[in-house]
Amino acid sequence: MVLEATMICIDNSEWMRNGDYSPSRFQAQADAVNLICGAKTQSNPENTVGVLTMAGKGVRVLVTPTSDLGKILACMHGLEIGGEMNLAAGIQVAQLALKHRQNKKQQQRIIVFAGSPIKHDKKLLEMIGRKLKKNSVALDIVDFGEEDEGKPEKLEALLAAVNNNDTSHIVHVPPSPNALSDVLISTPIFTGDGEGGSGYAAAAAAAAAVSGFDLGVDPSLDPELALALRVSMEEERARQEAAAKKAAEEAAKPEKGGEQQPSSQDATMTEGASGSASEADNKKDDLMDDENALLQQALAMSMDDTTSGHDVRDTDMSEAATDDPDLALALQLSVQEGDKDSSGQTDMSKLLADQSFVSSIIASLPGVDPNDPSVKDLLASMQNQSQQKKDEDKGPNEEEKQ
Amino acid sequence: MSAESASAIHRNQVDLSDFIDWSGVECLNQSAAHSLPNALKQGYREDDGLLLESDADEQLLIYIPFTQVVKLYALVVKGPEEEGPKTVKLFSNREHMGFSNVNDFPPSDTAVLSEDNLKGKPVVLKYVKFQNVRSLTIFIEDNQSGSDITKVQKIVLHGTTVETTDMKGLKKVEDH
Repeated sequence: MVLEATMICIDNSEWMRNGDYSPSRFQAQADAVNLICGAKTQSNPENTVGVLTMAGKGVRVLVTPTSDLGKILACMHGLEIGGEMNLAAGIQVAQLALKHRQNKKQQQRIIVFAGSPIKHDKKLLEMIGRKLKKNSVALDIVDFGEEDEGKPEKLEALLAAVNNNDTSHIVHVPPSPNALSDVLISTPIFTGDGEGGSGYAAAAAAAAAVSGFDLGVDPSLDPELALALRVSMEEERARQEAAAKKAAEEAAKPEKGGEQQPSSQDATMTEGASGSASEADNKKDDLMDDENALLQQALAMSMDDTTSGHDVRDTDMSEAATDDPDLALALQLSVQEGDKDSSGQTDMSKLLADQSFVSSIIASLPGVDPNDPSVKDLLASMQNQSQQKKDEDKGPNEEEKQ
Repeated sequence: MSAESASAIHRNQVDLSDFIDWSGVECLNQSAAHSLPNALKQGYREDDGLLLESDADEQLLIYIPFTQVVKLYALVVKGPEEEGPKTVKLFSNREHMGFSNVNDFPPSDTAVLSEDNLKGKPVVLKYVKFQNVRSLTIFIEDNQSGSDITKVQKIVLHGTTVETTDMKGLKKVEDH
């Protein structure tokens, strides 16, 4: 039951059009704002909430702190997306709005949604942070959306400058199928500092967003269970965050190493895939589009994976192709050929160049007539292609193999 | 010490802590563990171990609204020798002051506290400047040693209420 005046700073910059948080970043943010407003106004009848937007023509205060939930919700409609976010100005305007609150007993809190890159210096943010701390303003940060270099560090530095007795919090929300508001429910931003009892806050959550509470438990009936669920949700979220970070680091590493690798493997894969692609084309002319898309995907995957080494590539490819045995066969063939020796690409091309072999394969496929003129044309053109490609891809030292 | 303060303060002056509107009292940059009531509330402020401390830096901004109009006569600020406040600026009837605009207005009075003041000697203010005070803002700008934390043991405001200048009102207060 903290008596609080809260200003919520919304990011309505162009970056909010992105759809990586369903349904869009902006809509996800609006839902989260509604949820927080509901929770804040219900946790204490004298709590007030205000809203401002940080992007557009300039920082605009939509509602000064009020306890009228209707007013807050109404202002969220018809907001325009545009421009760039000005975090420093937004926070300072919010602080000014809080300073002029009616009830001086209210604690001051600013909740910032930061979804776009931050152009300000770390130093400036720290200075603003210290100013907030001096004016006894707590700051909650929701870091989502753009993940450019230095953004989390800047926000962490801002928070560290503000934080006083752990009253300020930051939450990093990576893109996920869960709604932004659902993720926030389990965080201290939403539940406050746990002073009013988490069950109460959770009940407020359920009331504020009827579909928002997905734990399947009525928290007002069993607050302990709700607390346990919330704690486990928090842990899981932290674990996912850590895993995502680790994955990102790992992905960054081999990319650097992979660039120096010889491109012969890539060439192999290109040819192998073009071979399998033409087979697939022959097989199912009518489904060509779908098939192509699949192949492109498989090809892209295998190309990516070549950078991280043979083993990974092989397993990934077989996984990708499990739902299409023909494709799997083709890919396997190309990989095996490629693995046998360094001149695998020549073997593969030879294999494809061997018309009798290809036509036997085609003949063995159900529903494909090898004598069909279009198939014949395709085969002929494919042969030409592979011949050309071979010439291009071959280094001069491999000429004797042709 | 009590004799000294008694002689310095006129008999008609009373402790104004009874007329403070506590719901509106605000202190910026106070440490959460060492808050303003430690220095301003009767009972707490008599205990020198209970302190008001600054948090982010050495400055403190205290806003005290009154339940009725008062005349302010003198101010007592007690603090430790090292971390006790030094420059104190007083503003009457200035609402919504913050650290950012504290230098925008001329102070009604400025006091530089001496060692004696920190031990409890009252600072007599420019009485004419505080004849019609609805709220008082005390800005503690720095401390004696220039360190990062300012500590205040006790703040007492002496003055009269405008209403209690007639005897009826005075009796009513004494009844409490």
